[in-house]
Amino acid sequence: MKKAGTYSLRLINWSLPALLALILAMATPAYGVTEEKTAAYWLERLGPALNMTTYRGVFVYARGSSVHSMQIAHRYHKGVVEERLVLQDGASGEIVRRGMNVVCVLPEQGKMQLEQIIPSGPFAEALASQLVPVSRWYRAELQGEGRIAGYDVVIVALTAKDQHRYSHRLWLEKSTGLLVKSHVRAAGGEVLEHFQFTNLEITDAIPDNEFEIRSEGREISRTLNGEGAQADSQNGFSSASRKQGWHLGWRPDGFEPAAAPSSGKGQAVAFSDGLAAFSVFVEPAGTVHMPTGASRIGATTIYMRHMQSENNAFLVTVVGELPPASARQVADSVQIDEAFVLGASDQ
Amino acid sequence: MDDRLRETLSAMMDDEADELSVRRLLSHEDQADVRAQWQRWQGVHDLMHRGHSPAESVDVSVAVREALDGRARSRAPVVSQHREEPRRWQWSAAVAMVAAALLVGFGAGAGWESGEISPDELASVPVTEAPEIELTDSDLPVQEVALQGLDEKQREYMNRYLLEHAQHNSVGVGQGSVSYARLVSASGSY
Repeated sequence: MKKAGTYSLRLINWSLPALLALILAMATPAYGVTEEKTAAYWLERLGPALNMTTYRGVFVYARGSSVHSMQIAHRYHKGVVEERLVLQDGASGEIVRRGMNVVCVLPEQGKMQLEQIIPSGPFAEALASQLVPVSRWYRAELQGEGRIAGYDVVIVALTAKDQHRYSHRLWLEKSTGLLVKSHVRAAGGEVLEHFQFTNLEITDAIPDNEFEIRSEGREISRTLNGEGAQADSQNGFSSASRKQGWHLGWRPDGFEPAAAPSSGKGQAVAFSDGLAAFSVFVEPAGTVHMPTGASRIGATTIYMRHMQSENNAFLVTVVGELPPASARQVADSVQIDEAFVLGASDQ
Repeated sequence: MDDRLRETLSAMMDDEADELSVRRLLSHEDQADVRAQWQRWQGVHDLMHRGHSPAESVDVSVAVREALDGRARSRAPVVSQHREEPRRWQWSAAVAMVAAALLVGFGAGAGWESGEISPDELASVPVTEAPEIELTDSDLPVQEVALQGLDEKQREYMNRYLLEHAQHNSVGVGQGSVSYARLVSASGSY
């Protein structure tokens, strides 16, 4: 039974794009008319392709001053996503995911806790379950074709329609729709964040042993879904203080509250327009004094400000892939509810 | 270096420091610390405004000079037991700061964002789609906080937010490996 299920999924996976590619090829004269639709088509493929494609390779990720390279093996096997990621530089470490189970082997890096590195959600569910139509906030267009890591790709440009978000450019492998390269760009065309496979093999099957943990070190395993909160309870960085006793007076159009499972309480502290996301934290000001203003790491802005409400000091933090001016605007719009002020003094 | 001195330094970058606080800054005992901080901020400032020509950073050094001239004129009322020595110190510090500003301004700090594409390369990237985005006049410049200017505790604090956001992101809208990479990047050092 299971085998049959896998087979049919793979059949859909491979035959649909092939068919559409054929139709597209035949419809070339009407290219201008169908352009918008085809970009949308590729975007729709993106999410499922990330999960259901079987591949292995090495990718690099650069933002700000940091560049990381990681080896990945990914397969969709018997209806379960399996993934193994191995850090290629710096301290050695790896993460293995099988369905909702994640095992993480990482050495301690500076002050960071091992627990904190475990992702609280599947890496790739994402675009498959979009709530907001991306095309409303981005102009999606095909930008031709190219070749990345030995594979033919189509290039999809997602140009922001306003100044509250960055533009994206996606390189998708032609036969599967797998994302093999991406840019996040500022309005001026400056590349803020860069992801790219340098080595890739899209295949039918990857043997089981490539999904086994090989690094030595402290192992931490966790089952995803709702248990994400326990990692934060140390060092006074408690997520209990994040009861939502505040609201935003303003947020950029299109950013809707998205579930934030890592807080474990279903609070809407994350907002997404379907492509970019930002998170808002409002907490009673702690002992660490944070400066007011924005810092940028690649496409990620972190804006902090202090605010007073009924004699209580709060630290408002907006983190996300949005321009600094928008992050500030969001932070400035935070209004603290009366109940939260009372709650804060209890803690 | 305490917060007040940092504020002065920050104000100097914006040409807003008053003479008194600059004098206080320049007589701070650890001039190397002051200089390093200044250099970092200046470097970050320039890099964040990558489009700016190096010449613009000269403004900052001019501000330092002006402040120093002011100091020299009003030096007399300052009561100091070691009058000569601090003065020499201050001047050497001032010269070093100006030099640092110029150095950074002319690209010595350009390697900071090593992961990024160099300005030269950027310039050659054909912008096929000029985004129809215009900043309105109401968009005042956002106060920038240099990561390098933060102490360890502050960095750690910021890191946690970055991590949490990356985690939200990996569930909400992640792009597979990209969101994972963000997570690792946020947890590592930058």
